[in-house]
Amino acid sequence: MQRDHLDIWGGVALAVFGLAVAFYSVNHYDFGELRRIGPGFFPTVLGGILVLLGIAVAVPAFLRSGTTPKVDLKEALFILAAVVVFAVLIERVGILLSTFVTVLITTIPAPKPGLLWRVVTAIVVSAISWAIFVAGLGMPLDVFPWGR
Amino acid sequence: MNTLDGLIYGLGVATQPVVLFYCFFGVFLGTFIGVLPGVGALAAISLLLPITFYMPPEAALVMLAGVYYGAQYGGSIASILLRLPGTPQSAVTALEGYPLARQGKAGAALFVAMSSSFIGSILGIAILVLFAPLLAQIGTKFGAAEYFSMMLLGLVAASTVGSEAPAKAMAMVVVGMILGCVGADVNSGALRFTFGQTELLDGVNLVALAMGLFGISEVISNVRTSGARKVEEKVGPKDLLRERRQLKRVKFSILRGTGLGAFFGALPGTGGTIATFLSYAVERKVSRHPEEFGKGAVEGIAGPESANNSAAITAFIPTLTLGIPGDVIMALMLGAMIIHGVQPGPLMLVERPEMFWGLIASFGIGNLFLIVLNLPLIGIWVALLRIPFSYLYPAITVFVCLGVYSVRGSAFDVMSVVFIGAFGYIMALMRFNPALLLLGFVLGPLIETNLRRALLLSRGDLLVFFERPISAVFLSATILLIGWGVFTSLRKIRRPVRQEAGE
Repeated sequence: MQRDHLDIWGGVALAVFGLAVAFYSVNHYDFGELRRIGPGFFPTVLGGILVLLGIAVAVPAFLRSGTTPKVDLKEALFILAAVVVFAVLIERVGILLSTFVTVLITTIPAPKPGLLWRVVTAIVVSAISWAIFVAGLGMPLDVFPWGR
Repeated sequence: MNTLDGLIYGLGVATQPVVLFYCFFGVFLGTFIGVLPGVGALAAISLLLPITFYMPPEAALVMLAGVYYGAQYGGSIASILLRLPGTPQSAVTALEGYPLARQGKAGAALFVAMSSSFIGSILGIAILVLFAPLLAQIGTKFGAAEYFSMMLLGLVAASTVGSEAPAKAMAMVVVGMILGCVGADVNSGALRFTFGQTELLDGVNLVALAMGLFGISEVISNVRTSGARKVEEKVGPKDLLRERRQLKRVKFSILRGTGLGAFFGALPGTGGTIATFLSYAVERKVSRHPEEFGKGAVEGIAGPESANNSAAITAFIPTLTLGIPGDVIMALMLGAMIIHGVQPGPLMLVERPEMFWGLIASFGIGNLFLIVLNLPLIGIWVALLRIPFSYLYPAITVFVCLGVYSVRGSAFDVMSVVFIGAFGYIMALMRFNPALLLLGFVLGPLIETNLRRALLLSRGDLLVFFERPISAVFLSATILLIGWGVFTSLRKIRRPVRQEAGE
């Protein structure tokens, strides 16, 4: 029999997360009493509700068939990698170089072939970024790798 | 201050050159970003939120509101010409608009969309002006118990009404509320879920959350198809003006749409999406030519577009007067107001009249800009649709990074976008609605505070929520909605089982 595996795992993940939140809150934060609820009360209750909702998502999924989504793994990895690279570079090499490199990485999974358009896009975007954020908004950022 | 005085005062605030400039700027940028395929009002506001931190509060909020309705209008251009709606609301516009564009009547579709948006907004503003002060007055009588129950109702309504999978929707709200707990607890000072990261003391960054969930995740899912779209039509201002007579045909559609939109927009939790779908259904029902629907009936554009825009305006009623955002966009606006030191609520009318009336007046001016701006610029917007997404998404990614970084110069926040973006993408794949997560995130801390206060006042008596009549009504409605959600889910489970038994 076909099952909606996506919702089964989704529900299970929610329930596990809820349980973890409730468990962690009970052990680390004061639950208080109804008259004066403590910092642990709200997350514990939310965690408990999430466990119930996770079960409510997972159980019916056993009784129906589901679809498998198409995962854009390559796209996801390069876009996320570009953001990581930006976070690492922005305070080290200035806005121009860091945005340039970030754009180059994001264009790797693009379906359009060729190198020239990637470099041109990178140059244009880093120029616009400088114009908006440094020249326009006056963000205190280094412009070049060697300073302002 | 009575309503008329307030309105005049507001016009004075909104016509200050600085405010006027940012209103124009917001409408322009909103349309610009809204036109980009696959990017809706939500992404537009999240992208521009950080920029407003560099502005005076009036200008910032006026600009964000302008971005909001500008992006909605831009979104309808994209859905008419490309069938690529940025939001569920504009998806309805594509149903009739895209067939019209295919038949070479893009001008008619765009003109009807533009004029019904404008009329819907203006009527929505009139309703807002009439009802907001009234509701604010009622709001002053609200205590913590009422706020708690009303917000609970809003969240439950948002996740059950019109939802395919209420349990999944509600789970997203709860995950958002849990994320909202992160940081130093206001009452006890306890550090919750910070795991020793000083950057998390103020909680998860709203901008990082919104950008990760709506910016990065959208980019990832659109890269693969980024080369595939083409707009063939050439549309200029004359093509739109030629269609003036259409207005006569759709005037009642606009009025019906506005009514539906104004009503559902003002209800917390339901908002524009339901109103637009309902309006489309109503137009098809009352039409003398229902067979035209799906092939390019302008009534099917006029109704939903006016519903959508009047809902966008009346959604500000609960947000401004009670401090309770009805949908995600209002949640973002609420977040922006709080960041700018404005606390929406019943007292806002008294304490910050310049903000309240200025914002309302700017809605009118902004919509005027929208129509004056977009008629001559329509050619540019259409040309913008021809830019391949391959050039755009790298820019969007970089602006997300810079936007998040600019909030408080924190590389940690940018790094958190990576995790939130990955999480948001997985959520989207599994068909969980990230918008509800954000709504839970913004409302969660407010709910906790009011729950705590109500219980403190009642000395721990949970019955307080049922003893106060207004609160009891809200809670009963909440329980009814949950019961209804459980009922529909159970019916869905039983149906396939019965089918099997029958085979």
